[in-house]
Parts: sequence; C-alpha cells; structure tokens
Amino acid sequence: MELQKHITDATTEIFETMIMLEISAGDPVVEKINNFKCSVSGVIGLAGTCKGILAIHLPDKVAMSITGSFLGMEVTEVDDDVTDAIGELANMVAGNIKMILDEAGKDVTLSIPSCVHGAEYTLDTAADCERVVVPFNLESGQFLVELQVKN
Amino acid sequence: MENNLQQQIINATQAVFDTMLMLPVTSGVALPDKVYLFNDSISGMLGFSGDVQGMLTIHCPQQIAFCITGQLLGMEVDGMDEDVKDTIGEMANMILGGIKDAFLERGTDISLAVPTVMSGRSYRVKTVDYASWTTVPFYLDDGEFLVELKLKTLD
Amino acid sequence: MGKRVLIIDDSSTMRKIVSRSLRQAGLDFDEILEAADGQEALDLLKTEKVDLILSDINMPNMDGMEFLRQKREIDAIKDIPVVMITTEGGADIIGEAKELGAAGSVKKPFKPETISDVLGALI
Repeated sequence: MELQKHITDATTEIFETMIMLEISAGDPVVEKINNFKCSVSGVIGLAGTCKGILAIHLPDKVAMSITGSFLGMEVTEVDDDVTDAIGELANMVAGNIKMILDEAGKDVTLSIPSCVHGAEYTLDTAADCERVVVPFNLESGQFLVELQVKN
Repeated sequence: MENNLQQQIINATQAVFDTMLMLPVTSGVALPDKVYLFNDSISGMLGFSGDVQGMLTIHCPQQIAFCITGQLLGMEVDGMDEDVKDTIGEMANMILGGIKDAFLERGTDISLAVPTVMSGRSYRVKTVDYASWTTVPFYLDDGEFLVELKLKTLD
Repeated sequence: MGKRVLIIDDSSTMRKIVSRSLRQAGLDFDEILEAADGQEALDLLKTEKVDLILSDINMPNMDGMEFLRQKREIDAIKDIPVVMITTEGGADIIGEAKELGAAGSVKKPFKPETISDVLGALI
C-alpha cells in the first residue's frame, strides 16, 4: 500500500482547500517518534476491512497557527478551539485517506477523533502495524502525519 | 440511553476483571463532569465505527496500570514499559469487545479500530462537541481508574 | 505432563497473558513456544513438535485463518489441534475457523476455567 502517497495527497488537499496554508511534504520519518513535548496530537481510528489509526502531531506553536488560519482569528494559547480544530483536522485528513482506500477496494469507516495536549506525553500504538510518518513544513514550523494500518 | 451505556461499561469492565484479572473491582456512578486532565497516568484509546461512531478510553494512574499489568502477566512490574502499554491497549480492546457484544444484542453493529496508548506526567485528552460521553469510575484496593465511552450523537 | 504448546499472537504481551492463563488453569505444559504470526508459526513447526496450538486471528503477515488453511495442507502438522483466541468473536468468524479445521475457540476475556475446559479435552 502506498501509504506515503496517500498521506501526502490527503493532507495537502485539506491545507489547500480548507486551511489555505502552504505546506510541503518531506521524506517519511524512519526512526520511531512517539515522545512529544509541548505538543498537540489529533488521533482518529480507522475500522472496517482496514484497521488502524491516523494521527497528527504538532508543536503548540504550529497547532495555534493552523487553528488561527482555520478559524480566521488570532490564537495565543492551546485552548478548546485549538484542540477542536486539530481533532477536526485529523478527521478531514482521515476522511480523504478513507476515500483513497475505499477506491482501492477497501471498506474503511472512521471513529470520532480525540485530541491530546501536554507538556510531555508518549503515544504508542499497541499493535503490529505498517507505519508511515510524513513530516510537513510550513512557515510556523513542522508537523507530522502518522498513518498506522494493520494488515 | 445514559443508564444503558453506564451499565454496558460496567458489565464489560467487570467481565474483564472477573475473568482474566481476578482482581476485585467495584464500579461507581457515571461522573457528572468531564475529566480532561491526567497526571502521571496512562490512557488507552480505541476508536470504533459502523452503526455508531465513537471512542472508548481507559484512564489509569500509572501505579494502577503497573498493578493491573503485573496481575495479568503474572510478574513484577515497576516501570512504564512495553508490557504496561500493551496491557492497557489490550484492556481497551477487551472492554470495547464486551460493549460491542452488548450493542449487537440491541441490533447495533460496530467495528473496532486499533488501540493507541498515551502516557505522560501531565496531559489533557479532549474530544469533539458532537459526542456524548459517559465516564464510569472503578475502584480497586490500590486506587481508581476511569472508563470513558464517547458516542457521536445522532442528528 | 510432557506436552508442548505453541501460542501465536502478534502481541508479545498477549502471549505472556495467555501463558499465565494456562498456568493458572493448572495446565502444566513442559514447554510453551511462541510465534508472532502464522508464517512464523509454520516455519517453527517445520522443526518443532507441539501437541496443541493457541492462535489469535488478527495478525499481520499471515492471519489465523490463513494459518489454518496452510496448516491443513501439511501432513506432518495437519492433525495438531488449534484453538482460536478471539476478541471480536462473531459467530461467522468462529464458524469459518471451524470449517478450516479449528478444534475450538475462546473469546477474550476468558477465565482460566474456560481455557482448561476447552483445552483439557484436546490434550
């Protein structure tokens, strides 16, 4: 499965249409990144014939700038608006990925998103999955989109 | 619906503790207020979709997680490691599996995603506004943990 | 007892949990072997003799169903009883496993007595 391409296409489309911020995708991150500091992570589950999760990890600063662009207002702290926006971002990217996977013959359904925020936290997926992490660069910094798929 | 969900959470969680863990646990009443902030904790999240969409999360203070893991694996656990994270993920899997069976009896079919486990000194977990939530506290000898079920409310 | 059991599950933690459950059920196996998926199990069974297999269903590389399919084509191992361990144990999945040759199934979470009831009859 061309997960890297799915992630890049899905994420770029959302940013071009709904958020209107310019982003560029980097090469997939190979080393395991599961520890985050002063960050926000939006997580949503994929179920059906393709089980997995889609997660977006952003440093606070990047989360705030994306939320500001998304909502059309200035954001100065990671508040409910930010966690809601990041949860919604995960939902939209996953929605795009779902469409791509469904076109490839899978039958994927999405759970509801959750958003984690903390000074320092670790996120692990408790299963043996195919894992691809793509970094995206924008003016305010960098964020990661992680797709883990079982089987 | 509220009472039903509370009971389903209690039944499914009790089943796991009665069978695989054999640790006595008592359930409390669903919390009136949302709990967002967790310190020195570990949370196992498992999304689901199908006839309804939602997420089940178990929130555990680290010490309780160590105790549960030790009991399940039959060995001493003194630090956060892969076994603890896998155990919490597996707990979420089994509890939601039980809730899935209860849903199925009422004609609602759901498909489970894959568990994600969060841990840290201090973190917040938030979900979207368009979800109902039911959080039930459970009490063990050494402390308490929470099982939280979020459901996308139907339009 | 002199018996050997193979546990197939992609989660090393789950394999430990199953091992502990077997001990708790009073089933004293001489040796417990482990494999992370169906393919690893088939490779291991080329050289190792076991009396019983406990297998998860959802695994990467080769899942429990495919393992059953391939196992029954190999004379040396086709008669070893396999018990499936399921989480989302729908009747159709269990039925399919039985058709592929599974001797039984156990749904998580399970009591040690359940495990000893299902396995006791097979060894």
